[in-house]
Amino acid sequence: MLTLLEQVDKGTLWRSHGGIHPPELKTLSSKTTIANFPLASHFIIPIPQVGDSALLRIKKGERVVKGQALTAGTSFAHCAVHAPTSGTITAIEQLPSNHASGLPVLSCVLTADGQDESIETITSDLSTLDNQQILKLIQNAGIAGLGGAAFPTHIKLSPVSDIELVIINGIECEPYITSDDRLMQEYSDEIISGIAIIERLLTPKRIIIAIEDNKPEAIEAMQHSLNRSELSSDNVRITKVPTKYPSGGEKQLIQILTGQEVPSGAIPAQLGMLVQNVATAYAIQDAVINGQPLISRVVTVTGLNCETPGNYWLPIGTQVQHILQTSGFKGDLSQDKIIIGGPMMGHSLPDVTAPVLKGTNCILLPSTEEIAPDQQEMPCIRCGECAVVCPALLLPQQLFWHAQAEEYDKAASFNLHDCIECGCCSYVCPSDIPLVEYYRVAKSALRTQSEEKKQADLAKQRFDARQQRLEDEKLARETKAREAAARRKNSMASADKNVVAEAMARMKAKKAAQSNTADSVAPAPVQDKKAQIAAAIARAKAKKASATTATDHPVGSDDVEVDPIDDKKAKINAAIARAKAKKAQQNNPSAKTSAPDVQVNAVDEKKAKVAAAIARAKAKKQLQADGDKTQEKVLVDNDTALATNTVPNTNKESTETTLAADTKKARIAAAVAKAKAKKQSLTSDDTEATNPNAVANDSSTDPAAESALSPAEIKKARIAAAVAKAKAKKAQAKLEEKE
Amino acid sequence: MAFKLASSPHLKVQLQTQSVMRRVILCALPGIAAQYYFFGWGVLIQVLLAIAVALLSESIVLKLRKRPIKPTISDNSAVLTALLIGVSLPSIAPWWIVVIGTLFAIVIVKHLYGGLGQNIFNPAMAAYVMLLISFPVQMTSWSVPLSLAQTPMDLGLTLQAIFGAMTPEQLNIYKLGFDGIAMATPLDTVKTDLSLGLTITESLSKSIFSDGYGVGWFWVNVAYLLGGIAMLKLKVIRWQISVGVIAAIFVCSSFDYLLSPDTHIGPLLQLFSGATMLAAFFIATDPVTAATSVRGRLIFGALIGVLVYVIRTYGGYPDAFAFAVLLANLCAPFIDYYVKPRSYGHRSGN
Repeated sequence: MLTLLEQVDKGTLWRSHGGIHPPELKTLSSKTTIANFPLASHFIIPIPQVGDSALLRIKKGERVVKGQALTAGTSFAHCAVHAPTSGTITAIEQLPSNHASGLPVLSCVLTADGQDESIETITSDLSTLDNQQILKLIQNAGIAGLGGAAFPTHIKLSPVSDIELVIINGIECEPYITSDDRLMQEYSDEIISGIAIIERLLTPKRIIIAIEDNKPEAIEAMQHSLNRSELSSDNVRITKVPTKYPSGGEKQLIQILTGQEVPSGAIPAQLGMLVQNVATAYAIQDAVINGQPLISRVVTVTGLNCETPGNYWLPIGTQVQHILQTSGFKGDLSQDKIIIGGPMMGHSLPDVTAPVLKGTNCILLPSTEEIAPDQQEMPCIRCGECAVVCPALLLPQQLFWHAQAEEYDKAASFNLHDCIECGCCSYVCPSDIPLVEYYRVAKSALRTQSEEKKQADLAKQRFDARQQRLEDEKLARETKAREAAARRKNSMASADKNVVAEAMARMKAKKAAQSNTADSVAPAPVQDKKAQIAAAIARAKAKKASATTATDHPVGSDDVEVDPIDDKKAKINAAIARAKAKKAQQNNPSAKTSAPDVQVNAVDEKKAKVAAAIARAKAKKQLQADGDKTQEKVLVDNDTALATNTVPNTNKESTETTLAADTKKARIAAAVAKAKAKKQSLTSDDTEATNPNAVANDSSTDPAAESALSPAEIKKARIAAAVAKAKAKKAQAKLEEKE
Repeated sequence: MAFKLASSPHLKVQLQTQSVMRRVILCALPGIAAQYYFFGWGVLIQVLLAIAVALLSESIVLKLRKRPIKPTISDNSAVLTALLIGVSLPSIAPWWIVVIGTLFAIVIVKHLYGGLGQNIFNPAMAAYVMLLISFPVQMTSWSVPLSLAQTPMDLGLTLQAIFGAMTPEQLNIYKLGFDGIAMATPLDTVKTDLSLGLTITESLSKSIFSDGYGVGWFWVNVAYLLGGIAMLKLKVIRWQISVGVIAAIFVCSSFDYLLSPDTHIGPLLQLFSGATMLAAFFIATDPVTAATSVRGRLIFGALIGVLVYVIRTYGGYPDAFAFAVLLANLCAPFIDYYVKPRSYGHRSGN
């Protein structure tokens, strides 16, 4: 296997898929030397970069001279714009652009004074310049790709990766156009020295000057100049490429010369390659060596509607209407097209006041016989000729199918973005379908979509950030509230000086808060806070009740997760009991409390709920536990009394909150109740308490009890049962720990 | 249209649908001429009748659909469909067969699906299958090659036969060979003989195979093959589908023939009898109902070839292009979905 460079040296050519052979029609303009055009009286110099990457250097009414920069760059992307002749800037306004749309673009109007007075150009000796200086000269000269795309050359010549192969594009595959052909014939030495500058900047391993075989004179001239130049013939070669459209396309040319394909969405630099147009090489030379900014270019003016077809040095900014007048336009503007660029990829000009741009290589003035008449679009018969000629190996008929149906995402899935809009498919289509137009519409729709998506993503990011911020603030508020609650509780409990009880209460509060926040129905912060406190209190109360059982108090028989024998636990329970007593005080509406009213309300409400739930649970327990009837009775009596005590209380104080509070609180209450039930069963049988089966036993007795309850309550009770199971397990774990 | 003015390219090759269709029709002429030469006036009458019905019915449908009549009629696609129906039918089939078939093809298969470019099935073949299933007797009464007929039909007799001025008894006379035995097509003959336990050699000794391939049918196929080659030269069709069909039939039949030459028709007889060349170049290549990519078309063509061979050999019909083409039509979108060419700059698979 030969390496790529060896094959390049051998002049191996590869095949690019598809392509067409349209009538060349180049002889119309290729026979005469490049001529100068009489200077126009007005020039229009578009300055679209102003406001983006450039600042305007001149003011309206100011006199400028030829070659004077009109803009000053503010970023690396800036490509300078210069006055094409001397005169006065008479307007800076939005004027029709040289574009298929004809949409207005910010432009300077230069009224020439006819003196064509030039700025002083500084010629440079290449050997005294370093690469950065050369690039600066190129940028300041405003050099852009002259093949049509007009991409700023200084950017292209500052690649981030190494360039191994530079291709100088002298293909010029579009019919009619001969500007590069003539330039190569007449200015081959200049082009070669431009190539030498590129060579110096990029130090590639090879440079290929690719010229289509329908330009033998140009090939010969370039070969002569190359032989005369200092460039090594080992590294720089001229390769003749078979004539086919669109061989001049960057991707196609790379494929023909190297057999490699530029990956979709990438640039040739990724393959270590770079393609420059011959005219750009000329302009680089002119800028670096002669100090001449890019203010004129060779333009092919041709077509049967043109009296004097040929190639002309046209100052950039010359209006097309001036060219029409000077070249003897024979057509009728209302009927005949004026095409900027070639017949395959050029666009028809909607407004002849538009100027010649840096990328304008041809002004085609065809008669009606020369170009395709407007045909009625016929249905696609899926003949597939479009796929045969497509150089990008796409399926144009499928793209068309989806583009027509406005299924742009599907069109995109057929690699619409790899379409180079060369027009081969439309050229061969027997149904006269303007395929490229469909693709352009589809592409712009996709662009709009992706723009919108980008916007939507940004909006979502903003929204998410805001949500996050609100969440954070809420959390912060909650933490604060919790701390405050703990402090309050601290101050309440401090009277008893029982530190352990305080800690327990805090822990309970925290647990309650966690279970609150876990709930999907997030209450308003104040309510939330209340609920937490209430829950904590409820738990404390429950514990107190159990504590009383532990000390054989007649009020309750429940045992919380603590071992009744444990001294410490007993103490805690006692403390909780005390706390509960205090709370009961608060609960009493007649009693004066230091806590704010709202809190009291909430506490009361909660207590009522808890009490009610306890009552229910007790009832259940009574059904379950036959063994300890006396104890039970006391308990039930006590609790019902408690419930009846507190419920009216709540009603009196705030009915509204009661209604709002509800489900969650009821659930918590139910859970507590369940826990109690379980505890009772645990206490009633000591062996069961240490036996994990106890849980199962316990729950198995549940349904009987539940049958007496309403469906909603059954549901709640079930949830509660689950909580209770967890608690039982915890209790068991604790017991084991203790042991 | 000002908008269209703006769109490149501004050059176009001047080959349009109607001229593509016209070229196909012209390339079919040698085959039609051969059919006329061997089987008499019938084919010409059928073709003209079909074309008249096609144009008339398409005009009416377009009017009902409120579409421009002239540009659509002049795309020649209806004429081509009619021509293919005309040459596919038995040449002395009664007139209402071809009328029903053409109406079905144009109105139902083509326009009810949205007209040119929208139909799923090849209109001519869908019509053929409909007729074959609905009117099996008329659709299988092939006339005898003129050279073998006891009483060759002239123009007048053919017209009488087609337009029903003949009693079935009278008609039967013209279906007899000079040996006084009613003759079928070569493929039909072989199929029947094989089912009767005869070997291929015995079957081929019958008068219908007097020139080795089935009188007339060989030259008709040669004529369509020449027309097909002309279409390839004119780039009216691409080679993939035709080559796919022919290669598949050749490979399948060679395989069977090599294994058991006594019970299988040889590959050359397969290729040069029945509708093989007509279908391979003129019917299967209908781009609307075929797969579109290069590989897809090869697969599409090969699928038709395999189906034809399977039905011819193991199925209930002596020839099977209509069924094979319709089945392949059904697969075309599926083939297109899975056989996408690799686009420039993409790895294979997308």
